[in-house]
Amino acid sequence: MDTKYIIGIIAILLIAIIGGAMFLGGGSSVQRADNELVVAAYSHGGEPETGFDPILGWNYYSEPLIQSTLLKVNRNLDYENDLATSWKANDNFTEYTVKLRDDVKFTDNSTLDAEDVAFTFNEAKATGASLDLSSMDNATAVDNTTVKFDLNKKDSTFVDKFAYIGIVPSDSYNNETYGSNPVGSGPFKFVQWDKGQQVILEKNPDYYGKQPEFNKLTILFEQNEAALNAARNKEVDVAAVPMQYANETVDGYNMVLMDTIDVRGLTLPTEPNTGKTTEDGSPMGNNITADKAVREALNYGINRTAIAEGALNGVGVPTSDGVPHLLPWYNKEAQIQDADVDKAKKLLSDAGWKDTDGDGIVEKDGVKASLNVYYPSNAPERQAIAVALGEQAKEFGIEINATGSNWDEMGSHKWTDPIVFGYGSTDPSTIFSKYHSSQIETGNYAMLNDSAVDAHIDKAMGESREASYDDWKAASWDGKTGFSAKGDAPWLWVGEIKYGYFVDDSLDISEDTALIQPHGGDIFGNILDWSRTSSIEESK
Amino acid sequence: MADKSKDVSSIYSPIANMNLRTKTLLTIGLTVFILVAVVITSLFINSADITTNFNAMNQPPSFEHLFGTDWMGRDMFTRTMKGLGLSVQIGAGASILSSIIAIILAFVGSINSKLDSFIAWLVDLFLSVPHILLIILISIGLGGGAFGVTMGVALTHWTSLTRILRAEIKQINTSEFVKLSQRFGKSKIWIAKKHILPLVITQIIVGTILIFPHAIMHEASVTFLGFGLSPHEPAIGVILSESMKYLATGNWWLALFPGLALLIIVLLFDIAGENIKKMLDPTSANE
Repeated sequence: MDTKYIIGIIAILLIAIIGGAMFLGGGSSVQRADNELVVAAYSHGGEPETGFDPILGWNYYSEPLIQSTLLKVNRNLDYENDLATSWKANDNFTEYTVKLRDDVKFTDNSTLDAEDVAFTFNEAKATGASLDLSSMDNATAVDNTTVKFDLNKKDSTFVDKFAYIGIVPSDSYNNETYGSNPVGSGPFKFVQWDKGQQVILEKNPDYYGKQPEFNKLTILFEQNEAALNAARNKEVDVAAVPMQYANETVDGYNMVLMDTIDVRGLTLPTEPNTGKTTEDGSPMGNNITADKAVREALNYGINRTAIAEGALNGVGVPTSDGVPHLLPWYNKEAQIQDADVDKAKKLLSDAGWKDTDGDGIVEKDGVKASLNVYYPSNAPERQAIAVALGEQAKEFGIEINATGSNWDEMGSHKWTDPIVFGYGSTDPSTIFSKYHSSQIETGNYAMLNDSAVDAHIDKAMGESREASYDDWKAASWDGKTGFSAKGDAPWLWVGEIKYGYFVDDSLDISEDTALIQPHGGDIFGNILDWSRTSSIEESK
Repeated sequence: MADKSKDVSSIYSPIANMNLRTKTLLTIGLTVFILVAVVITSLFINSADITTNFNAMNQPPSFEHLFGTDWMGRDMFTRTMKGLGLSVQIGAGASILSSIIAIILAFVGSINSKLDSFIAWLVDLFLSVPHILLIILISIGLGGGAFGVTMGVALTHWTSLTRILRAEIKQINTSEFVKLSQRFGKSKIWIAKKHILPLVITQIIVGTILIFPHAIMHEASVTFLGFGLSPHEPAIGVILSESMKYLATGNWWLALFPGLALLIIVLLFDIAGENIKKMLDPTSANE
């Protein structure tokens, strides 16, 4: 119990913190040449645990770089041909036929043909680790350049899956080794993966599309403050940083805020807890949020604009139905006028929620309107949302206890307690998985069971992409009901976020052609348009 | 000049005229007063009242915010005080539990030699595993939270006190008066109560107080590593680990003040402990 020993521990702790910050700042310096790119920007999901295997989850929502996809999404969220030369679906969207280019080679010099495409989709469905392919029965190669997809139900959103998954070579694919030594047909070729540190790619000279301007692309897996420091030390061309750093300035770098369709919101389970469980035994239902008045009070009472300006650092966009405003099926009619504390109070008191014991929190039938809201500890913006919501909800008598957690622990709370989720996809079928009554055990954690919403979704699934927009909108609000706050209010959607990048002044990342990033997206969607406009400035 | 000032101080400074006992008492009084003040202040701070203010994010220390504000505009002074209060409470819970465990084990060990060697083995076992690992395991096993951390710290800090008590009891058991009582047919419990306990009570009190600094340090370390408490809760370890993210942006006050405050609290406990030891065990005052 020596005093010196204790002082020593604290001194070491303090030095470790400050030294740690300096060490992060003084990390390994990476030499950069003008025709090479070094980025610390694959950071929304961090380093891919299973390597660069699209079947096991590598970038199945965004540009896979090493592999190529059948279609590519463009700036307007339309699809363009990539590996495909054309595609068509039958009238009721249960069968898709895709024609492929015949001039594409993998980097191991084998030819990419229909066999590889069918293999990739069948394997991805069997593994179930990445894309939701539950509507597909199987994919078959009709001839060398034609693939046929048979579905088990109407699914007009299946075309979105064509843009999501990188094609792997069927002959050499091995699910144990492919991830760390991937072979693909994308604009870049895999060179080396230093686990925990970086992945090095180089230009694929045989790429069938436009050639990138850069011979080498190094992706560092540095995140958050480490990424910021990498920019400070001029080690990288692009550094992705969390929004808390959006207002920082770094010499020689530009802060670029990219539009996303990434939204944050909380589930509000619509069913009471009657002891029912999911098949896996997770409890279901919440007796407080099962009352629609509570869900509506939360939706109308909170101030999303204040949260967007505060918790989301002034770069958030309020949303009250979780459909980002950049999507073609954004429904303006579904938005509500929030920050109405009086309305929230009235909704609660009309439904019998009264503050009887004078603690500022309302009760009904002896149940206190006290909710445990879970958020993943490693996501600062979700923590800020949970804390800020707690302060706002208190004003109209609902108590929110924010609880930091991790996904393993939250797994058993998904159907019982509000969780701060992040969502956002160019694929409207996420509406199906979040709100359709058939998905209650899989993704409809709020357990919404509304036949009108189901009907709109089912109709949309059987129409062409363009025609379906109106039905997706109607699912949110059709004048009577919907999944928005105006309707059943099964969620408390808060706001859209933006992604912030520090970009070296010498680099032009062609913001005009930048793609809108989905939840977990990356910045590489338009990497073929990137160019170096001047030489990299030496660090001082 | 120098001599004169010395004279003046010795005549007019009340502290210089005190004897060791009064000085010791004064030191104990002051340290205990500060510690109690910290705990009481923190009890009056309601966690829900530490509100966010996004108009005042990342502000350096000022008269309005003595310790500055963090990334959500929360006042760091109130957060630090709340965190210190929490640390002291967890420390108190853990040290008292630890002492109870130590006392029970030490007395159980004096029953017979088999139990005694078992307890010696248990002490060695717990000492051979790094504390921090055990604390993390136990606090996760008990479901985390302040309860998990308290239990984790309590269940790992009894070892040294057990050792001391065991040695003391062994020594007392060989003394003449214990042997005499045994021959008079007094029960083991009677001997424990009447002969042993009064002699080891000093060790127990001092030992309990001296577990405090360790308990607080370990609580801070565990929460620093992200186990136990949620990242928005005001605990010193949580505050320090969060501050790391913002050192890169130059927010030095987030780490410095809470770190110093923790240092001071731990030192106060140590000073209090050492001085109480001097009071209760006068022989040690001459060391």
